[in-house]
Amino acid sequence: MSLVKVLEISGENAVAQEDGQKVYERIRELLKSGQDLQLDFQGVKIFASPFFNAAIGQLLKDFDADDLNRRLKFEHLSLVGQEVLKKVNENSKRYFSSSEAFKKAQTEVIGNLARKL
Amino acid sequence: MNVKIPTINDDVSDFDRLFALWEQLNRQDLDITFDFSGCRFLRQNAVAFLGGLIRLVRYLGGNVRIDDSTFIPDVANNLAKNGFSGIFSGKAFVRSGNAIPYREDGESENVSLIAYLRDQWLGRGWVHVTELLRNRIIGTVWEVYANGFEHGESGIGIFSCGQHYPQLRTLKLTIVDFGVGIPANVRNFLGEPNLPSDRALEWAFRPGNSTKPEGMGRGLGLDILKQFIKVNKGQLEVFSHDAYALVDSGTERYLTRKSYFQGTLVNISLVCDELHYCLSSEISNEPLF
Repeated sequence: MSLVKVLEISGENAVAQEDGQKVYERIRELLKSGQDLQLDFQGVKIFASPFFNAAIGQLLKDFDADDLNRRLKFEHLSLVGQEVLKKVNENSKRYFSSSEAFKKAQTEVIGNLARKL
Repeated sequence: MNVKIPTINDDVSDFDRLFALWEQLNRQDLDITFDFSGCRFLRQNAVAFLGGLIRLVRYLGGNVRIDDSTFIPDVANNLAKNGFSGIFSGKAFVRSGNAIPYREDGESENVSLIAYLRDQWLGRGWVHVTELLRNRIIGTVWEVYANGFEHGESGIGIFSCGQHYPQLRTLKLTIVDFGVGIPANVRNFLGEPNLPSDRALEWAFRPGNSTKPEGMGRGLGLDILKQFIKVNKGQLEVFSHDAYALVDSGTERYLTRKSYFQGTLVNISLVCDELHYCLSSEISNEPLF
């Protein structure tokens, strides 16, 4: 199992999309090569959704959720980090699994808003 | 031109006074003196906004002088303590009391911004929270700045200031940009030029809604902040164009108002001894995808 230490990429603030993109590229390469992966958050303290959108949420366009649950292990991820990640993954699943349907739903929301006027 | 700065609290009508100043001064090549003789005090919203307004006037080719001879002692002390006078009048920065420094961010610089939120805003001993909760608050508020940088197109950056009110047991932070505003971004993205401002702002608060959705899921920042404010009995106000959002534990309202400000202003209030954000202890047992 390969190991990726997030602290070495983002420092203790896992907030920026740019850092998330670096993590994503590293993870995707390893998973595509068939390796299982341990993602270690030791020392990472602050979390925000742009980081996880890029680092983890994007994986759902390349791999299915069951595959990721089986092959990607999260170590030392605080409850705060888990909570943000959970929201990001739910949102990313919706985005990638039915992006057309999601866009349609957004359009319907606008239609409803317009009807409220 | 002499511009009188009034007393500015942070009720909605006080924001209208700030936005009226923006309407008056958002033009090219002005030569202005700020006169504080009618000002009894300024809250953090006014400090952040006036700092940004000075930068805007200068960006538009004008000049702003601050007539510090018009300060009453309380205003002079406040503006010295939060660093405003140091930046704009060359006065010594006297950090003390309940003031939290005025801050300008020209670009997203995460390390110093997070240090500000941790050490200057939250970490002065007036909010008793676990490290886990403190980090949660910092990440949540950081998303407001990230939204401003990603969507605001301000040109002159983002301006913020905090204040601790011990008698109210409240900690506040105002973050303002002078960019294009949320309703404009939403209307452009949806191709709905007539969408009312309040509806556009409501759309922006919905989880997963983003005006930059290319490539990955986004659009969680405002929802995460909203949920945090509700659970913690805080208050969140967002002003952008003529739209106004008010969120607290029992309220979520989106209104179109008469006063107008082109950018976006976010005003956050946390009740210091009510912070009890609950993290689900079960979450770690669930699959993360």
